[in-house]
Amino acid sequence: MTSLVITVTETLRYRGAIGQWSWVLHRLSGLGVVLFLVLHVVDTSWAVFWPELYEEAIATYQSPLFTIGEFGLVAAVVYHAFNGLRIVFFDYNPHLWRHQQRAAQIVLLVTLVVLAPVFLLMFGHVLDFYNSAPQVLPLTEVLRAQLVFLPGFIAAIVAALILSGLHGLISGGDSATGVVDPQGSRSERFWWSFMRVSSLLILPLVFGHLAVMHVLQGVFDITAQGHDVVGTGGVINESGTAVEFVANRWNLLVGGVAVWRVYDFALLALVVAHGFNGLRYVLTDYTSHSPFLRRASVYLCMLGALTLLVLGVGALLGTIDETAIEMGVEAMERLHAGS
Amino acid sequence: MDISFRIRRYNPEAGRTKPYWQEFELNDVEPSHRVLELLHRVKWEQDGTLAFRRSCSSGICGSDAMRINGRNALACKLLARDVGPKIQVEPILGLRVIKDLIVDMEPFLAHYRQVLPWFVNDGPLPADGRERLQAQEDKDLITDSTNCILCAACTTSCPSFWANGEYVGPAAIVQAHRFLFDTRDTGDDARLDALGAPDGVWRCRTIFNCTPACPRGIEVTRAIGEVKLAVRKGATAGIIDPATIKQQH
Ligand code: HEM
Ligand code: SF4
Ligand code: FES
Repeated sequence: MTSLVITVTETLRYRGAIGQWSWVLHRLSGLGVVLFLVLHVVDTSWAVFWPELYEEAIATYQSPLFTIGEFGLVAAVVYHAFNGLRIVFFDYNPHLWRHQQRAAQIVLLVTLVVLAPVFLLMFGHVLDFYNSAPQVLPLTEVLRAQLVFLPGFIAAIVAALILSGLHGLISGGDSATGVVDPQGSRSERFWWSFMRVSSLLILPLVFGHLAVMHVLQGVFDITAQGHDVVGTGGVINESGTAVEFVANRWNLLVGGVAVWRVYDFALLALVVAHGFNGLRYVLTDYTSHSPFLRRASVYLCMLGALTLLVLGVGALLGTIDETAIEMGVEAMERLHAGS
Repeated sequence: MDISFRIRRYNPEAGRTKPYWQEFELNDVEPSHRVLELLHRVKWEQDGTLAFRRSCSSGICGSDAMRINGRNALACKLLARDVGPKIQVEPILGLRVIKDLIVDMEPFLAHYRQVLPWFVNDGPLPADGRERLQAQEDKDLITDSTNCILCAACTTSCPSFWANGEYVGPAAIVQAHRFLFDTRDTGDDARLDALGAPDGVWRCRTIFNCTPACPRGIEVTRAIGEVKLAVRKGATAGIIDPATIKQQH
């Protein structure tokens, strides 16, 4: 903790150049997106495993709190992506370092230029929604719905601490960090390259995902009854449930291939690996003084990544049938009756 | 010119267990005086207990790196007129403060030793039994990194190092660069392994605080980038394009 506190306060005090602020933004945006990723993958898996809860989750996404969060999410992803490209470029061309200040400024500029029209379009969806006299969940309900994550987070942290303790016992005490270890050396080399290669693949996937789900249509259109479902060539969401919306997308076959399932799988796998390895970088930075906490950080990231992969892949392989959609309809009626 | 000086003090022996700021006023300062001379005036004229390191007073020994007006520099290289009438001085960050501006350099030097910063070549000596000569183009690859004076200004300007004292740090990587890209040296494998460890070169997040902090004008982040590529490749050949090296001779 002290190393985290010192780093935060002294980063604010040290008069570094723009690169320091690029790093702060890159780190915060990455962490923010990882946090949302956890909520989002777990929520989405409910479309298959727990349709009622999925309806509720989408209803919370349509509340003002999440609308603000959505603008933040899009801004974070856009900045992180362009800044990531800058990092990758200078990583492979270190001799051009003199241009990095200007490049960092350009990244900020391009982010703003891209975000301006994107925010306008997104704002259009928000206006449309509120003009249609919608039923909006009250804030307390929205927050209460997030409470289900709390035991999950606590369980993951406790499990990581226990695993780290067991690891320490079995390996016979705390092995020092920073010792020369060719094995560690090889895996870090892999992860460094993976962060860069994966980011180049993630970029088009994640931008495509954001464009389809947040810009072309908004989260409000997910539950628009009789509305066509984005990216399906005109399939209609008959029931107006979020469950049917997901079913329509995932069941779309192009040449016998469920293209959106494949797309979402690629996005899931790459982003989970990239995001949780990024989280590992951040957590291990601030726990170097304690081998116990450091190992726990690594276990926490492994557990998190594994959980999301299992839930996400499980959902992508699952089927959403008529009964699931009926459950969605009922949940929706309950939600509307309640608010 | 008159200068008001704000200095971060710490002296547990005198019973003050917490660091604190102390202000000093200096009159008749020549604009061409260096911050180090101002520190001397404080020590000699106002408070003899002020502690700081210095030796050469001319930017060669690397003993007086400190954070001056928020940024790391050598006190013996910064002129009063360039830092203005208000000067704030504090110890470099990330190493334990022993007294006032003096920090414990041992962890820093331990990282330096970690990269095997010495010449390795067990092959036979040249016929005349004397120097291993090198072509100028080969020397150009390492000229910049041979300029390092181990002042620690770069390493202690780095947020990755503040967070994580296990990180080998910019200075040790610059020193490793000097030997890795020395065409006569054969110790690369062990060095690349040491640098590829989890707290090795990968902890660099290209924040670029180190490069402007370096009093020798070394292209620190570039050197780190080249070492990263060498570690990834497992070899140093072909990493640096000679055409991109700034001319120094
Ligand atoms: C959109 C395309 C993306 C690109 C081009 C990209 C690029 C990068 C790069 C190059 C790094 C390494 C930075 C370094 O070593 O200094 C990185 C780190 C990171 N990324 Fe991404 N990324 C992208 C998307 C994402 C997404 C979607 C997430 C969240 C799930 C994410 C989370 C992180 C985190 C947490 C880090 C670690 C940050 C740190 O160590 O300070 N990234 N990203
Ligand atoms: S690279 Fe520059 S700042 Fe770093 S220790 Fe060497 S001389 Fe000092
Ligand atoms: S006193 Fe030697 S470098 Fe400043």
